[in-house]
Amino acid sequence: MGVLVAHRLLQSVVVVLGVTLISFIALHAGGDPTYLFVSERATAEEIALVRQALGFDRPLPVQYLSFVADLARGDFGTSLSYRQPAIDIVLGAFPATIELAVFAFVIAIALAIPLGVVAALNRGTAVDGSITILGLLGQSIPNFWMGIMMILFFGLHLRWFPISGHVPFLLPLLNGDLATAFGNLPRTIYFLVMPGVAVATYSLARNTRLVRSSMLEVLGQDYVRTARAKGLAEHVVVVHHALRNAWLPVVTMIGLEFGFLLGGVVVTETVFSYPGIGRLLFNAINQRDIPLVQAGVILLAANFILLNTVVDLVYARLDPRVTLARRR
Amino acid sequence: MKLRYLVALAAGLAIVGAAAVMMMRPTGPRAASTIVVGLSADIATFEPANISSRDNMNIAHHIFASLFTLGADGTHVPNLARELAISDDGLAYTYTLREGLTCHDGEALTAEDVAYTFTRIANPANKFTGNAPGFVFSSIGFRSAEALDPGRVRITIARKNPIAFGLLTEISIHCKDSYEKMTLDQAATAPVGSGPYRLVSWTRGSEIVLEKTAASAAAYDRIVWRIIPEASTRAAELMAGNVDIIANVAPDQIAAINQSGVATVQSITSTRRMFVGFNQAEQFGQTPGGRAIRDPKVRRALQYAVDVPTICRQLLQIECQRATGLVNPVNAVKALSPYPFEPATAERLLDEAGWPRVAGKMRFALTLQAGRGRYLNDVNVVQAIGQYLRDAGVDVTVELLEWASVFQPLLRTRTAGPLFFMGTGGGLWSPIYDMNDLARVESGTNYTNWSDARWFSRWDALTDAATPEDMRRLVDEMLQVFYDDGPWLHLYFQPDFYGVSSRVDWQARPDERIYAYDARPKG
Repeated sequence: MGVLVAHRLLQSVVVVLGVTLISFIALHAGGDPTYLFVSERATAEEIALVRQALGFDRPLPVQYLSFVADLARGDFGTSLSYRQPAIDIVLGAFPATIELAVFAFVIAIALAIPLGVVAALNRGTAVDGSITILGLLGQSIPNFWMGIMMILFFGLHLRWFPISGHVPFLLPLLNGDLATAFGNLPRTIYFLVMPGVAVATYSLARNTRLVRSSMLEVLGQDYVRTARAKGLAEHVVVVHHALRNAWLPVVTMIGLEFGFLLGGVVVTETVFSYPGIGRLLFNAINQRDIPLVQAGVILLAANFILLNTVVDLVYARLDPRVTLARRR
Repeated sequence: MKLRYLVALAAGLAIVGAAAVMMMRPTGPRAASTIVVGLSADIATFEPANISSRDNMNIAHHIFASLFTLGADGTHVPNLARELAISDDGLAYTYTLREGLTCHDGEALTAEDVAYTFTRIANPANKFTGNAPGFVFSSIGFRSAEALDPGRVRITIARKNPIAFGLLTEISIHCKDSYEKMTLDQAATAPVGSGPYRLVSWTRGSEIVLEKTAASAAAYDRIVWRIIPEASTRAAELMAGNVDIIANVAPDQIAAINQSGVATVQSITSTRRMFVGFNQAEQFGQTPGGRAIRDPKVRRALQYAVDVPTICRQLLQIECQRATGLVNPVNAVKALSPYPFEPATAERLLDEAGWPRVAGKMRFALTLQAGRGRYLNDVNVVQAIGQYLRDAGVDVTVELLEWASVFQPLLRTRTAGPLFFMGTGGGLWSPIYDMNDLARVESGTNYTNWSDARWFSRWDALTDAATPEDMRRLVDEMLQVFYDDGPWLHLYFQPDFYGVSSRVDWQARPDERIYAYDARPKG
């Protein structure tokens, strides 16, 4: 396991550098970002001064290498918009996104597995058809539209849930303020319901279909037939023999799912005015705040690598045929 | 076994959720002493010398007062200062401060603080990049600031400037004792101001809370600025009664808000001038279209080709009068009438200018560029203008570009176009402020590379005009030139839409400033 982790750490350095290079090129491809940091009436001389102050007067390779050198010292740079250390701003927004992603993840997994199993066990029936249609709908409805509809119906019409906003739990918790964190918790959950469901819908639908197809495949295997022939109770056959073996593709998917959720909640965060990293990065990209984008991208990439590694470890635990050495 | 755990987890989640709903449902209106304003974008900084956007300035202006301020009608209203004396040569501005002013740190606010503010902004070591050092100081040619005594401060500028007085209202006064101890990072997040409210908290991307100072006469004890980027979410929060004022209401939500019974939409014609620029840069002169628009006769002909009132009515949901130039209507030449929509006149004038349709084909080709999503319904407006010009025989290709990274650099390098759609902020307080974009041929804001000597040669005389009457005569002459042969296809002044709760008495302003300290509870 230690070898795998070390190997992954080495890989992650290459991946992170690649990601920073791509985002650096993409952010500079549109031209000189200086114009975003001067007033619309600034003269050419003022623009030149600001360009120099922001460091955009240097050749692009020099700017990038300088960034990488600073990064090696743990300095992610200063946000051009906020004039604060970029990593501090990103880390400040990250807990809110983790809360949203965890909430959506729990909904997506907790409901997808029973729904997928039920659909598979009732293949071809109205129950299966209903779940399949709901799954298709869940994958087809854009989550921004879903979010707006939820706001109008549950927020504005029924007044069940808050329309927008966020009450922090993780941030005070990480700061050691347990009283505030747990005092906030009910309201944190309350504010998470609508954005969480909007984010979870797609994943829930996809995972339900994945569990269903995986279960169908396993239920047709000889060892399941053998288990039934031995007279085992159906729930034992399903849970201990079928579901355990149907887990493998699901685990692969849900492991990566969390990474996608962390990086893929931009639209939902915007619709619900949720102050997470997705919205922060979206604004930073629009503002061409390069250090902030780089810090956010590195954090998300590192997170994705970490999750990938965890998935590999869990995979090996679930399927003894898979060894970490072979996967290397 | 695992399935059972998962089912239990799902059930537990549902119970917690249901309980949370029951516990958390709003039980009544929030404190009447708080006003909540919904904005579309977060601010970047509380460092007054680094602020470069109107949204940011709107909030900062509640924390930092200025010497004079602008009223909604463009008049100058004494604020921290009660008097201003301008020297005969127009280079020294001496402000007399009101008595009894205090900073948020509790110290007395004196002329020394004002002088410190100006000197700090101008200090190149601070590398400030906001509107104050960038636009204001360079426009007025700031030289120095000195405290004459505790109640008087003198600002010296390098050259006489008829709009310096108005530009100086943009400077946010901050307090020496506190700022001398602060790092620039601290100044960006922990302002110590001189205005009617002080900062309580700033949750980045979420909300900014301000609290009234003891000396403030504002009606509300607290102002909460909530950042709600999505227009439909802002409208929903207003209709749900959670927000009192929202900015940038989308036209398609006006009816829903007005019918909600809890809020109405105020529409106001802003000072932002919308136009299509005719870029006469050398690089475009190589093409027939680029050559054509260098001819004032062609530009005048195209004015008749676009039906601006219909664009306003159909696409912006407002009745408007077409602009006659680059100054706001209150300062425009009254004798000038907006160009009417007369397609036949446009065609005739284009024929006479030497660009006839040959065998029913188009006269010449032009590209019309615009940023996407910057201005109200801009995509549809630009498409409509393109079609009107095509109807007049101009083969227009519309290019909709990403604003920040693609279109704005083209504007700033004066290479957009040769036709481009944009809007620039204006003011009511002086026609010269609006005209100042074209003060010099080489001005960064002369996006069209216009160089008509009849306009530019009058600037020195305008600056040195001895009397207001002389100044007005010169302004009228210049605006006539701009109307006849200017580099803009005149459009309209952008309408702004604000949603306002029926609990609140507040009036939207035309200059895009949102001053919540002007609001009062109704009843």
